[in-house]
Amino acid sequence: MSGFFIRRLMQGVISIIGASIIIFVISRLSGDPILMLLPNDAPTSMIEETRRNLGLNRPLWVQYLIFAQNALVGDFGNSYRWKMPALKLILDRLPATIELAMCGLLFSVAVAVPVGVMSAVHRGGWIDRIGRVFAMLGQAMPAFWVGLLLILVFAIKLNWLPAFGHGSWSQLVLPAISLGWYPVAAQTRIVRSAMLDVLDSDHIRLSRALGTPERLIIWKYALRNAAVPLLTMLGVYFAAMLGGAFVVETIFAWPGVGRTVVEAVFARDFPVVQAGVLFTSVLFVMSNLLVDLSYGLVDPRIRNGR
Amino acid sequence: MLLSVRDLQTHLHLKRGVLRAVDGVSLDVAEGETLGLVGESGSGKTLTGLSLLRLLPKGSGRIVGGSIKLDGQELTTLSEAALARDIRGRKIAMIMQDPMTSLNPVFSIGDQVGSPLRNHDIARGAALRSAVVDVLQRVRLPSPADRLGDYPHQFSGGQRQRIVAAMAIGCTPRLLVADEPTTALDVTIQVQIINLLRSIQADTGAGIILITHDLGVAASLCRRIAVMYAGQIIETGPVRAIYRSPSHPYTKALLAAIPRLGAKRARLTAIAGQPPSLIDPPTGCRFAARCTLRMDKCAEAPPNVTLSDGHSAACWKLV
Repeated sequence: MSGFFIRRLMQGVISIIGASIIIFVISRLSGDPILMLLPNDAPTSMIEETRRNLGLNRPLWVQYLIFAQNALVGDFGNSYRWKMPALKLILDRLPATIELAMCGLLFSVAVAVPVGVMSAVHRGGWIDRIGRVFAMLGQAMPAFWVGLLLILVFAIKLNWLPAFGHGSWSQLVLPAISLGWYPVAAQTRIVRSAMLDVLDSDHIRLSRALGTPERLIIWKYALRNAAVPLLTMLGVYFAAMLGGAFVVETIFAWPGVGRTVVEAVFARDFPVVQAGVLFTSVLFVMSNLLVDLSYGLVDPRIRNGR
Repeated sequence: MLLSVRDLQTHLHLKRGVLRAVDGVSLDVAEGETLGLVGESGSGKTLTGLSLLRLLPKGSGRIVGGSIKLDGQELTTLSEAALARDIRGRKIAMIMQDPMTSLNPVFSIGDQVGSPLRNHDIARGAALRSAVVDVLQRVRLPSPADRLGDYPHQFSGGQRQRIVAAMAIGCTPRLLVADEPTTALDVTIQVQIINLLRSIQADTGAGIILITHDLGVAASLCRRIAVMYAGQIIETGPVRAIYRSPSHPYTKALLAAIPRLGAKRARLTAIAGQPPSLIDPPTGCRFAARCTLRMDKCAEAPPNVTLSDGHSAACWKLV
């Protein structure tokens, strides 16, 4: 277990280093930030001066090493635009993003588990068929489109829920559904196939032979077995939601990390982009690690180091 | 009579046709008696056992005829809910073949052994815990009180079969259906489980139906044996009578096929041919195609001939 964990940790560190190099290079390919910071008619001497002050005149690899060295102690530099530490800017926006990702995940699980379980129990029945249609719709509709549709229907036509903003529960509903919509399909399929496997196993047959009520067989004895593969997915999806929420955050004007990074990209605010993306990749790696650890909660065979 | 099965017919509705898996089986089990149901794979012995609990494959399996009476109560017409509440695990319990897969890997054994007791409202709370410890003691699991929180993977194969047995006898059922309970185990562990079944029977007076293809296991545990072939019982009688003077050609061939220590022959004796398809079984004797004593008459269904007290076989040669 500990060897496995250390190996996963090392893999995570390598992933983060890789992500830092990629984001560092890509952000610099997007153009020269100086032109955004200074007025169009700024004299060349002033441009050079600013470039020197920001360290942008040095070779790229030197810039990276300085960036990496500072990043290790949590210093990502100041935002060119907001003149405040980039990391602080990101951390300030993080709770909103986590809130949104959690609710998105909650929505997807709340739909996927019952639908998946009932699809497996009544295989080929109407729930199974409707579930399959929904799964296809889920896979085929991108988040931005779902988001726009939801706004159109529930905010504009029906006027039930607000279309944007952050602060109250009602403002959370539409963004959470848009974010959680896509993974519902995959999660339903995982739950369904895992349940089908378990329901056909010897121990469930024995449970039935000993008179266990069907309700307990399905929701207690079978579901906990089926939860193991679902849990793996949840970790990956949670991480993907943290990183991928930028579309939904932008549509719903949600003040999260994603929207901040998108704005920073448009402003060529390198430190904020780097801090945001790197921070998200650290979260990604960490949530995958947490999933590896949490298997033990569900599956005692892993808990006991086998 | 504790259990009395008459002319049981169980069909499997498959895509390629209706498989007559159990075709006219009749058997009796008295209180405290062990009946061995012996036969090769596909002979219908397991489906006969599952029919008693109506645990047939969902959708395809159905009892289409005959009667099953437990203590005089007809089971074939009982509702699914009544079956789960009053019969399964309460009056008839089952021990499955493979102890490695018969326990739920993600629940503690305390929970699993307690489950039938909870479901049948026999014990709750602190009483439940002590009942679980008690039943685990009866199957001789070492220091059960300390191991209630342990999970199946922490036990050996023999210990797991003891735990499965504990789940089965928790509610002191009247009848225990043991489907190949020793097949997946080492020989030394097999003996332990056989002894365990004996002591369970001595304790509770339950009737046991032992389903096995191992004639040795059947001989060591049972007083009576029923030999199944192609969905039918072709010979039944006391263990001694069957082993000393097998009467049906299939039983004879089966006993002759047991390899003996010290025998000179290098090759194993086998019965030539295959059992018939049960989707479209032959009208006469189902063993006729493989039988060395076949006569013209065998194209008709053979009568059940009584040979001595409680010993009978279905074969034209015996008429």
